[in-house]
Amino acid sequence: MNASVETRARILGRIRSATERVAKAPTQLADAYAALPRTYVRRGQKSNESKLELLIERLREYDAEVVECLEAGLASSIAAQLAASGKLVFVAPAGLPKEWLVSGFDWKIDHGLPAAEIELVEGVVTGASCAIADSGTIVLHHSESEGRRVITLLPDWHLCILRASQVVETLPEYFDRFSKPPALVTWVSGPSATADIEMTRIKGVHGPRFLHVILVRDETQDA
Amino acid sequence: MSTAILDPKIAPPFREAVLPVLRNPMLRKNVAHATQVIQNKRAKLVAEKTDWQELRSAASAIRMHVLENLGAYLEQFEERCTAAGGVVHWAADADEARAIILNLLRQENATEAIKIKTMTSAEIQLNPYLEAAGITVHETDLAEIILQLGKEEPSHIVVPALHINRSQVREIFSRTMGLKDLSDDPKELTGAARHYLREKFLRVPTAISGANFLIAETGSVAVVESEGNGRMCLTLPETIVTVVGIEKVLPRFQDLEVMLQVLARSATGERMNPYTSLWTGVTPGDGPQRFHVVLLDNERTSILARPKERQTLKCIRCAACMNHCPVYRQTGGHAYGSCYPGPIGAILTPQLMRMHHAESLPFASSLCGACVEVCPVKIDIPAVLLDLRADAVNIERKQAKRAFDLMYIGLRVANTVFARPWIFHTAQWFGRIGLSAFTGKDGWIKWLPGLGSRWTENRDLRGLPKQTFHEWWAARAKETR
Amino acid sequence: MRASLFIACYNDTLFPETGRAVTRLLERLGVELDFHPEQTCCGQMHANSGFRAEAFSQAKRLVRLYEKDETVVIPGSSCVAMMREQYPGIFEELGNESQRRELAAFLPKVYELSEFIIDKLGVEDVGAYFPHRVTYHASCHGLRGLHLGDRPFRLLKNVRGIDFVPLENMDRCCGFGGTFSVKNPEISQAMLTVKLHDILSTKAEFCTALDNSCLMHLGGAMHRQYAAMRTIHMAEILASTEDAPAEALA
Repeated sequence: MNASVETRARILGRIRSATERVAKAPTQLADAYAALPRTYVRRGQKSNESKLELLIERLREYDAEVVECLEAGLASSIAAQLAASGKLVFVAPAGLPKEWLVSGFDWKIDHGLPAAEIELVEGVVTGASCAIADSGTIVLHHSESEGRRVITLLPDWHLCILRASQVVETLPEYFDRFSKPPALVTWVSGPSATADIEMTRIKGVHGPRFLHVILVRDETQDA
Repeated sequence: MSTAILDPKIAPPFREAVLPVLRNPMLRKNVAHATQVIQNKRAKLVAEKTDWQELRSAASAIRMHVLENLGAYLEQFEERCTAAGGVVHWAADADEARAIILNLLRQENATEAIKIKTMTSAEIQLNPYLEAAGITVHETDLAEIILQLGKEEPSHIVVPALHINRSQVREIFSRTMGLKDLSDDPKELTGAARHYLREKFLRVPTAISGANFLIAETGSVAVVESEGNGRMCLTLPETIVTVVGIEKVLPRFQDLEVMLQVLARSATGERMNPYTSLWTGVTPGDGPQRFHVVLLDNERTSILARPKERQTLKCIRCAACMNHCPVYRQTGGHAYGSCYPGPIGAILTPQLMRMHHAESLPFASSLCGACVEVCPVKIDIPAVLLDLRADAVNIERKQAKRAFDLMYIGLRVANTVFARPWIFHTAQWFGRIGLSAFTGKDGWIKWLPGLGSRWTENRDLRGLPKQTFHEWWAARAKETR
Repeated sequence: MRASLFIACYNDTLFPETGRAVTRLLERLGVELDFHPEQTCCGQMHANSGFRAEAFSQAKRLVRLYEKDETVVIPGSSCVAMMREQYPGIFEELGNESQRRELAAFLPKVYELSEFIIDKLGVEDVGAYFPHRVTYHASCHGLRGLHLGDRPFRLLKNVRGIDFVPLENMDRCCGFGGTFSVKNPEISQAMLTVKLHDILSTKAEFCTALDNSCLMHLGGAMHRQYAAMRTIHMAEILASTEDAPAEALA
């Protein structure tokens, strides 16, 4: 390990002498960072209604299917989506709300299922941590109700339940909300795609090809 | 189809390297088509982004701030990553990086590895090294599979197989995957790749990745992708080794709010790429339980030390520069003899080579500046090109071979000519007389010998007029007196 | 209004008619034009080829030459770009404090021709007459170095009789790049072929620009290929009137 310690010291030494004229002292670094120009748009200007409309529009551009419902209708909305999928076997994160595990389907609850088993399920149902309207992005922090990363990766069909209050307009607003960074994040903006062959966009290489979103509205929200 | 390894140490000079490319209409058509598609998509999204220039300013400032304080941020990253369960290694050069990675794989008794596309691994020529050590490397990015199975080299840093069209892909896949009835429909081809890779994702326990960004504040790594093969490699295996240039670090998690906005729009003309993954050390129960980061120097510290060249390291590998470059449009990437082609390659590769190799690349540009307009982190590529040209000339000034370099001699002579008006005017007079021998009755020159033939190869030159402007001015002044 | 003309080495030698047109045009617009016969070159060719010391020796002579002038007008966007973009760095690296002060005093005096007419003289209609089909190529230096913007169009728009046709991919480099076309002639030619295709598609009689370096490259190819088009510097269009049409039309 000595060689490695030596290399580390050598590289850091080279960096130090390369930047000695411009590097800030440790006590000044934070101030220098804070002084960096950030005149880009941080907050969106849209009304709540327009923001949600924009998210739905962006999601549909990705061929994601989006339905809206109120809290009271959530369970039946989930049931309808699952029924329409024609699938039976679903994986769900261990912390998914019990009411969402509607009957009539074969639920595999993920308490650490081996990948080979997850490979056999037909779909996955999760919540989310946030959604960004500007880019149609769904953000997963892989919490208890979102599940381990593998369960939103291997199945071909993903139903994501999103609350209207979780939706922000701009990407900077997401970072404002989560100033304490989570350890694991997956930003999902549409199904996987490639344009590697003649720039022809093909959807669904790896990862779910079918994304369904239920947007749960709050009855009391202003327009 | 080329099979040369993109090694700047053995690649032919740019002028020579472009010749087979210029004579390949299919490649030129593919490159023009691909770059035009991304140009158009990007332009549309940039027009709709009202704060695009502000984002560029912020992105440039954040990246330069990091470079100026690189030591502090790298140490912070190392500390946080280690605390979260990652192991950080430092590699001074390509040899060390390869040895570290091989050693880590050996520790896992790995005979195979699945790999996410990373130009850094191409820079250190990792694959041939691992293959020689008996480790099978499976590329998982669609473009990289095409290249790997077709024994080809990348020609673009974001869309590496853009020089290959669908029927060429069909040929490669049907031959190597044993699929006789495969059509050339991109959907079918992609489906074949998906199927081919699935069992590898589920079986191979060791993965190698690069990183788009390192976050110092949290010790996290961010990988930006479109296909999902990245997520597969980052999630399913037991061990992951990430090799990344030291310049890729960002101060804070929040800085992604700028970088992600400019990267996707610049690279693929999307508001956001399909999948961006961020992980921090090791998370029990979720993903690889053994995580190693190999921080690569490989001459980056030399670039860092030069104030005018430092900006080269701001690069976030979006490829907007090459998508808009009129030179790259005609040549594609291979002509640059490096895994980093185009405008960024023309400044990065020679510097990584300490100007011992790839010295022709700084001259592989007409200095049109199209790259400057589109670079999301505002790298002034022409300014660095000019600096590197001065470096090349200063090296040549000390070499005996300069006595045989016509251009060197010509420019030294020209300097003497421009030094004094009387020499300049005498030279013009001699030039007029000398060239009159080559001037036809219509007043045009169709052929010149020596260096002049570089002009007359494809263009005529109008013969020197009987009177220069300054002679006309003097005559007019005389008349009016 | 007084101004001193820097004609540019290649215009002096190869395109004196551009200089004559600039003289005719500016004097028509009431400018008292001066010309220092000691001028040679701005050093661009050397700077772009990596011969900085040589470029500096030319640059410092040039800056000193215009010490006593208030305004310098240059009918070549690449020369102006050289001065604005590269002189500061070169003087920083190779010059002394006094030379840097001279440069700082010099740069604000410098105007590219279209900048001079529009910004300094405040004129957009120069009284020109040029009844021909014309397309405009945006030289890289003028476009991205000087940010000339719509100045060329504002001037061309007011030329009586002109039939202006826009150029597709107007902002794409013609492939000349000075010594680039000598060091990498094949790729330069490939770029030229592509550019020429766009230009010839306009079916214009003339392709114009604010820089004769691009135009000699394009025009030389047109002549070689017997294309039904010629090149002409914009100064010559702007100087052209019914009584005194452009020399190119003779």
